[in-house]
Amino acid sequence: MSTTAEPTRDKYSLGQSMKRKEDPRFLRGHGNYLDDHVLPGMLWLSIVHSPYPHARIVKIDKTAALAVPGVVAVLTGEDLAAHNLAWIPTFHGYDKQMILAVGKVLFQYQEVAGVIASSREIAQDAAELVEVEYEPLDPVVTPFQSREDKIILRDDRENKTNHIYHWEVGKRDATDAALAASEVSIKERVVFQRCHPAPLEPCGIIADMDAATGRLTLYLTSQAPHAHRTVVSLVTGIPEDKIHVISPDLGGGFGNKVPVYPGYVVAAAASVVIGVPIKWIETRTENLTTTGFARDYHMDVEIGATNDGRVTALKVATVADHGAFDAAADPTKYPAGLFGIVTGSYDFPNAFTELDAYFTNKPPGGVAYRCSFRVTEASFAIERGMEMLARKLNMDPAELRLKNFIKKEQFPYPSPLGFVYDSGDYHMTLRKALDIIGYDELRKEQAEKRTRGELMGIGISTFTEAVGAGPSKHFDIMGIKMFDSAEIRVHPTGSAILRAGTKSQGQGHETTWAQIAADELGLDAQNIMVEEGDTDTAPYGLGTYASRSTPVAGAAIAMAARKIREKAKKIAAHLLEAPVDDIEWENHAFHVRGLPGKAITMQEIAFAAYTNPAPDSEPGLEATFYYDPPNLTFPYGAYIAVVDVDAETGFVKVRRFLAIDDCGTVINPMIVEGQIHGGLTEGFAIAFMQELAFDAQGNALNTNFTEYLVPTSLETPHWETSSTVTPSPHHPIGAKGVGESPNVGSPAAFVNAVMDALAPLGVTHIDMPLTREKVWRAVRDAKGTLSA
Amino acid sequence: MNLEYSGREEIPTGLDTVWAFVTDPTKVATCVPDVVESTVVDARTADAVVHVSVGPVRGKLKLRITLDPDAAAHHLNMKISGGGFGSVVDVTAGADISAASAVATALDWKATVTMRGPVATVGGRVIDAQAKRVITQTFENVRTRLTGAPAQAG
Repeated sequence: MSTTAEPTRDKYSLGQSMKRKEDPRFLRGHGNYLDDHVLPGMLWLSIVHSPYPHARIVKIDKTAALAVPGVVAVLTGEDLAAHNLAWIPTFHGYDKQMILAVGKVLFQYQEVAGVIASSREIAQDAAELVEVEYEPLDPVVTPFQSREDKIILRDDRENKTNHIYHWEVGKRDATDAALAASEVSIKERVVFQRCHPAPLEPCGIIADMDAATGRLTLYLTSQAPHAHRTVVSLVTGIPEDKIHVISPDLGGGFGNKVPVYPGYVVAAAASVVIGVPIKWIETRTENLTTTGFARDYHMDVEIGATNDGRVTALKVATVADHGAFDAAADPTKYPAGLFGIVTGSYDFPNAFTELDAYFTNKPPGGVAYRCSFRVTEASFAIERGMEMLARKLNMDPAELRLKNFIKKEQFPYPSPLGFVYDSGDYHMTLRKALDIIGYDELRKEQAEKRTRGELMGIGISTFTEAVGAGPSKHFDIMGIKMFDSAEIRVHPTGSAILRAGTKSQGQGHETTWAQIAADELGLDAQNIMVEEGDTDTAPYGLGTYASRSTPVAGAAIAMAARKIREKAKKIAAHLLEAPVDDIEWENHAFHVRGLPGKAITMQEIAFAAYTNPAPDSEPGLEATFYYDPPNLTFPYGAYIAVVDVDAETGFVKVRRFLAIDDCGTVINPMIVEGQIHGGLTEGFAIAFMQELAFDAQGNALNTNFTEYLVPTSLETPHWETSSTVTPSPHHPIGAKGVGESPNVGSPAAFVNAVMDALAPLGVTHIDMPLTREKVWRAVRDAKGTLSA
Repeated sequence: MNLEYSGREEIPTGLDTVWAFVTDPTKVATCVPDVVESTVVDARTADAVVHVSVGPVRGKLKLRITLDPDAAAHHLNMKISGGGFGSVVDVTAGADISAASAVATALDWKATVTMRGPVATVGGRVIDAQAKRVITQTFENVRTRLTGAPAQAG
């Protein structure tokens, strides 16, 4: 079932399923991706990677590589150090990371040298001839090994410990006391495994230093072009006006294209030195082994409750594996991101969470894959915890949730961990989900099947997100406040150009941004051109990630349009020969109060703005708005998965999956549905297929798509979607954002469903991914225990 | 990735002949399968370039073979280490040479293979089969070179 209507053609199209304006060029092969760019005289960069996860670099011999015809240069960390570029700060500023390894390598596949050559093939062949002599060191593979501090990984840091930071929020003593006094409690370690967003287009750059103008142009796979420009300026000392970042069409990002990667810096440095364009495009293996991964949280979840199922306390203690550098691009004041949303949709009177992060000999990162700054981990922890509590109480998991939801009259709701939720009606949304899926009938079917020994499970996840980072009083990255921006210019004939500080990676901004502006201005959305990703033209913005575009830039667009409307109102008064105070905006046109028949359109006003401006206003019709959100937004949803488990093979058949999302005001239902389908597919992959695994020696085991699995249409279940709408009270159009909701909410639904299916066997938890082997082993072990 | 293998070859020739062969780096280097070229460094050391093809991972490994014989115990330690195409391979092998009969010599061997880099990330069963083939073939080649005949099947 789907609620998406047939695409309509309404020029004031907010809330309509307008077809995506960008699709004709993508469908016809006219997308313009980084690897489509070829510049005259361009050279290629290939990176030499470490085979060891932890080793001292004894010697690097470039001789054989340099002897290859076509090789122009071979760069090492020592070469970069001479230009003060061996290390750069990580995004939230607490740590630094190596560009090319100096002294020792800290993870397998770490970048050790860069080869510049006249073709990609020559660069790759020559990279194999760079001889690096290593002295292998014992690796530290898990955060639990790391916290013992027997091997200190980071020689460069003053503090000789692998411990990066401790973070906590909430009331520890009160929570401990409430847990101790609770009539019923559960405690379980829940691991959200290390995984990777694996966008179809990997990362890349063309760095083009123009010696004549002194300008460095960076064609970059960037979700945050302005932030990247600022970082490059800060690191290199090149004035920001001399840096031009162009982020072309992106083939997916999911947070993977937020960080600054060594290949970017090496290419830029080489272009500055050599004076020609340098291109670097990752291989799939490089993307999976060196760029921003996701999760790797080990969470001890503890919930206390009364015998009748009223929750009294939540405590979550997390051990986080950050890899070799602390490069999780979280906002400065939020080292663990927005993990404080871990109380979820429930009214906990007491809550406390703490987190300790550690270095390991693994790639750096952590904040990617539609996680909304660790909201995915938090959601998984609380939704698994609530499921376990329901089982402990022998209570229906839907009933437990309904009993403990924050009530709609409690909004704005101050959570015990510091957030103020904006709006929601969780009871309505879950009840709608239970009704659509036929919950009672499914439970009856399950009971019948259990009498026959068949394993059927129903899993619920009722998550709440915190997105839209964020209010400047709390949120910054490297000191830059997390506002966003929009600039709209209406042309004389009533079409317009809209530029934003965001950058679509497939979200459909060219369509949805136009729809917001069209609705606010009474223009045809088809005639509003949206431009993003060019720092020379777009207003400064923090980019697209963490579901922040609609909550922040979408608001900026509405507010910029309203500024234009204010000016247009004066022009309307001039044209209608009436006082400004008598002019009203109604049905996408201006009219004199009491005379709705005498209306004037924005097209007419636009022409007048250039040909017959009001006497007291400047010509033209444009505005820029920088939006500083007053609060985060809190989209939520109710997801239900129905699975059948084959005890003989461990195969899990996802028979049904219903996602009801509430993302506030919906701009384009078809695009929202597309976002949800994509996110659910990723959540399915995480739950059942994906893990970046390492062996005990620190070898990466999933370095290509034969080992790191991406679901095809054959594996992907059929998705059922629907929605409820509780607008955000503080967003100009009431929108909350939806990009990450399905990835945040769905893993717990899948796992809860499988655990529900295995409940008769006494299986309470299996860590993701729930591969056939793991499920089969759990069933086998449980049956062995039962029969013994 | 660590892999361990062991095996036994019975070679229909005398112990002294076998011992002389396996302690000669010139001869041992040529027993490694898919050798492209080999160079003797000294009486106990040889370098070899070996072509490797494991699933999608293909390339050449530059290996150093170091022999450490214990003549009194008729025990040979052998280390093969090197790398290429971003990968590292280390093989530590030991072989006990003893008289199996009046006319045959037994070569009981054990080997531990450690791999890192792309070669280690090919699926476990594939790499296991390939590594086993290389190790087994090396010791089988010792027999072949000494007797001119491969082992009997079965």
